[in-house]
Amino acid sequence: MTQSEPIFRMEGVTHRYGDLTALDDIDFVAEDNSYIALLGPSGSGKTCLLRVIAGFEKPDKGRIWFQGRDITDLPAHERGIGFVFQNFALFPHLTIFENVAFGLRNGAVKVSETDIADRVTDAIDMVGLTGLEDRSPDQISGGQKQRVALARSLVLQPKLVLLDEPLGALDANLRERMQIELRAIRERLDVTFLHVTGSETEALAMGDKVAVLDQGQIVQYGTPDAIYDSPAISDVALFLNRFNLFNGELQGDTFVGPFGTVPVTAAQPNKSDVYAIRYDRTRIFSADAVDLPGPALPVRYLASEYLGSSIVFLFETKDRKTVEVDHHLSLGEPRDLTVGENYTLSWDPAQAIVFGKETAR
Amino acid sequence: MESKVLKPILAVYVGLFILFLYGPFIVLGILSFQQGPEGGPQFPIISWSTYWYQHLFGLTPPSRIAPLPVGEALIRSLVLAFMTMVTATVLGVMAAQAFRKRFRGAGIVFYLIVLGMMVPGVLTGLGTSLLANNVVGIERHWWSTAFLAHVVYTFPFAFLVMLAILNRFDGSVEEASWSLGVSPITTFRKVTFPLIFPGVLSAMLFAFTLSFDEFPRTLFASGRDQTLPLAIYGTFSVEIHPNIFAFGVMTTLFSFALLSVYGILMALSVRRAKKMAMQEDIA
Repeated sequence: MTQSEPIFRMEGVTHRYGDLTALDDIDFVAEDNSYIALLGPSGSGKTCLLRVIAGFEKPDKGRIWFQGRDITDLPAHERGIGFVFQNFALFPHLTIFENVAFGLRNGAVKVSETDIADRVTDAIDMVGLTGLEDRSPDQISGGQKQRVALARSLVLQPKLVLLDEPLGALDANLRERMQIELRAIRERLDVTFLHVTGSETEALAMGDKVAVLDQGQIVQYGTPDAIYDSPAISDVALFLNRFNLFNGELQGDTFVGPFGTVPVTAAQPNKSDVYAIRYDRTRIFSADAVDLPGPALPVRYLASEYLGSSIVFLFETKDRKTVEVDHHLSLGEPRDLTVGENYTLSWDPAQAIVFGKETAR
Repeated sequence: MESKVLKPILAVYVGLFILFLYGPFIVLGILSFQQGPEGGPQFPIISWSTYWYQHLFGLTPPSRIAPLPVGEALIRSLVLAFMTMVTATVLGVMAAQAFRKRFRGAGIVFYLIVLGMMVPGVLTGLGTSLLANNVVGIERHWWSTAFLAHVVYTFPFAFLVMLAILNRFDGSVEEASWSLGVSPITTFRKVTFPLIFPGVLSAMLFAFTLSFDEFPRTLFASGRDQTLPLAIYGTFSVEIHPNIFAFGVMTTLFSFALLSVYGILMALSVRRAKKMAMQEDIA
């Protein structure tokens, strides 16, 4: 991964729909030639952000630069930024070939017929659709439509392509294959992909960097490892869907939660006091175990879910909060649990992340 | 079962309804084959003949019945209907396109446009002629004042048809086109227009047929030279002969021909619309 000059930059971008603030003073930088995943729950403003970047909507405040040029006031067709829609938005009245040729044929720069034929053929070849040129969009599958939409953008050799939940309309099987292919296609070209998704696994798997968007703000921006290992705030930990989060109270050097009082060495600034421990770092002990590695959380066993490479165990605390434990099968056979029985969960306190309102530390 | 009673009743009702709908035309059609020139516009048929059709085209020996003075009126009405169709459809598409963005005052403008088809035709016609004669001070003609009155009348129909079409239109194909560096004007020509073409056809058909047999507005607004409906009405006031019926059959056949063209064009573009719909389903 080469990280160089930022190809794209936005400063203080704010966008409102009536009373609703969809984007709240966003600063964001995208490096040249990289894959950036933009992760956010629905309603976080992620689609709005893409639409503002594409020029479909004008921000109320803030400036946007692309390739060193201020594009805030440029209309969409003069920006040179590709866009891949979740519903593909292929032109239903044109063949696959003409769909891909559309931008070359109708753009501001005149391209000769032979150049069009060459470039379109190359683009269709790159996405692996050779032979389907004369089909119409209703004669191809969802995955193929996705590739046409991609080829249609890439044939114009943009430096930035925005992908709005591009895998959302595909079934799970195809989604994984397209994940790999999207990355492979991007690596062959000198282009930055900005991929919006609501799926944390997709974001972590695909992005060289991941930006987490919440309530119109980018709350964390970093490599997938960094985000996975140290979520900046408790909401990020919540989206990642890999942490047990406990509300409690941070009092100086200790955190008081449902597992008792635990010493704390460091805390991240946050809206509220939250104690987070990853599913796969939470361990199961019998109810009367004494040699625990850390805090003791009394729970009742509910159910388990077999995921192939791991098993997820679901427990319930006294105040009916569900706690998950992810046991990877490479670590050996899991212990036998009886539904309805009481157990104790524990973990190494050094692996927990504590978020606190007190930011003094 | 309820349907055992209800179904036959409904069937009879529908049959009567259709008979009522086409009854006048069937009577007209039969009477147009009356013997000529003695036969009148009533039953019984003395003997079947195509005399009145020949009479229409001036192929019969001269008789006391003058040929229908419809030649020029027909041309005028066709030209007027064509002008109205083009103007109303262009305006309708543009106005409906404007309504996709909820501009300020959109609600009021909507009602003001639709009012054009609500106001009684005689009033519009009279108003137009008064406006032309007394206020602006221009002569009335079928191609000026009557044309305006026709556009005012047919534009709301074209507008409503286009509004319905554009309401269902998925704007993301347009955005996709912009993001491919294609200007909004070219996008409209190459993407939007081909996809809304079935609607445009319907709007054109509406405007043409409404204008072609428009009577009350034209009566006052058209001035000296008459359009077809006025010319036919003019012949009624003297004496009615089956040549009018023959003419009616001819114009109806013409309308059917027009509808067939419309049907064929529609069938071709419905294939597109289906593709469009399939794409929307995925979204």
